[in-house]
Amino acid sequence: MIVMKDVTKIYEMGSAQIFALNGVNLEVEDGDFLAVMGPSGSGKSTLLYTIGTLLTPTKGNVTINGKSIYKMKPRQRAKFRRENIGFIFQTFELIPYLTALENVMLPLYLSGVAISKHEDIAKEALRKVGLAHRALHKPTELSGGEQQRVSIARGIVNNPRILLADEPTGNLDQKTGKEIIQLLHKLNDRDELTVIMVTHDPEKACLSNMVLQMIDGRVVEDEQRTYRKRR
Amino acid sequence: MTPRSESISVPYGSVVVGNVTIPESFQEKIYTIPNRRNLRTVSPKIYGQVEYGNSNLLVVGMISEQEAELKKWWNVEGSLPQNDANQVLLGSAVASFLRLSVGSTITINGMALTVVGILSETGSVDDYSLFLPLHTAQRLLNQPGVVSVIDVGAICKDCPVEVISQQIMNALPGVKATPVKQAVETRMEAVEQTANFSLLLASIILVVGCAGVMNTMLASVHERIKEIGIFMSLGADSIHLYKIFILESLILGLIGGLIGCFVGLASSVLVGPLFMNMMISFLELPLYPIPLSIALSVVASLTASLYPAWRASKIDPVQALRTV
Repeated sequence: MIVMKDVTKIYEMGSAQIFALNGVNLEVEDGDFLAVMGPSGSGKSTLLYTIGTLLTPTKGNVTINGKSIYKMKPRQRAKFRRENIGFIFQTFELIPYLTALENVMLPLYLSGVAISKHEDIAKEALRKVGLAHRALHKPTELSGGEQQRVSIARGIVNNPRILLADEPTGNLDQKTGKEIIQLLHKLNDRDELTVIMVTHDPEKACLSNMVLQMIDGRVVEDEQRTYRKRR
Repeated sequence: MTPRSESISVPYGSVVVGNVTIPESFQEKIYTIPNRRNLRTVSPKIYGQVEYGNSNLLVVGMISEQEAELKKWWNVEGSLPQNDANQVLLGSAVASFLRLSVGSTITINGMALTVVGILSETGSVDDYSLFLPLHTAQRLLNQPGVVSVIDVGAICKDCPVEVISQQIMNALPGVKATPVKQAVETRMEAVEQTANFSLLLASIILVVGCAGVMNTMLASVHERIKEIGIFMSLGADSIHLYKIFILESLILGLIGGLIGCFVGLASSVLVGPLFMNMMISFLELPLYPIPLSIALSVVASLTASLYPAWRASKIDPVQALRTV
């Protein structure tokens, strides 16, 4: 479970203070599929990276599974991130000179998994996203949808509890985008993976069981539990 | 690294010049010693005294090129006597005493000799000597096929002169080889100075190289800022990033060291004869500079990568991910 209490992030721009997050309170339960919506600059991404242990808030407390993540030392937090959180991005962010398989193997190197197991584990993750047959291709040889699948495989290869997606369909056409959302739902359903997704697209957002509207760093609407499917 | 160059006299038995001799053929046998490649010059000579009017003259038979090679300080007016010719080179004192100049003739024991050169004053016994071609002197002294002494010049930076003299004594039974440390002092100094200069140059290059590596690594950190952000989002910590950049610099240093080593070795073989008039063979080069220079290159590039690696570990991942 993710709990945010009165989380504020202030950026100093010269003499002006910009509240990227302004007193956000939020609870996300394990297995939730949360969509975060809102105009540009409303703090969606800031919220995502704050949950993702990458962005220390100015004020407030974030706990994941009872652990206060910003009270950890940086290396502890990195370890926590390796083990519990996967990221996917709008522009996929694959390493261009590595094959799909090698990209998926990267988090395993960081986690110190025995090297002999890397290939099998990474292949299994690629199979989960339906891309086992493209394992040896470089990102430039893959379509946008395929690249995002590789990115998802890389995000889940360490079996994290939480997958954070920053506009995962922003660079994809309508049909491919839908397929990616379906894949995320499948992972959410089958593996009880908590998914938090920042998106512009109301159609894709409404498929989730929880939609958050943000404006100026505040959560203005919280259609909590409206679409909750089970539990 | 100071190449030592020494000269060794090889008198036979006791050092009584003119009475006891060694066969001339011994000069070839010297080239059978293990350190033969370090031999620079082998100059067989015969000494003798001849009567001329009321005085005795000191006659030296020599092979002109070899003797001149050994006595770099010689300054000859005219030219050196040619092998087997009836020609003579006069020491300055002899020339003025006998009032002879280049082109004059002197007849000793019925042998007419043309003065082809006069030596500038050396301050040594050379000033009082007449230098003849070896075989001409042998005929004059009536001692064919023998020599009094063989001067051996050797240049070697790792082998003491004693080793070479011992090797000569082993190769030539009945010969006494005495190390004489002088003769090619000037060349030794030149070699030493060049070595010091090379060392200075190498240190400067090392510092410049370090700066180059650091600059390259910093550029690499900057170029890969997004990649570093991705790695951090995947859970990389500072130690991971240090490892990545240090490993990269290690590989760079190793490759650079290897290339530098072989370029250096090759150029020493190519350039050595050009500047130092020394023949250098790959087989004889000492081996220790190879691991030393590779190690130095690796250590230098590791040192130079620490700051860039630290910079990488301090990158803000969210900012890095937002860069295009």
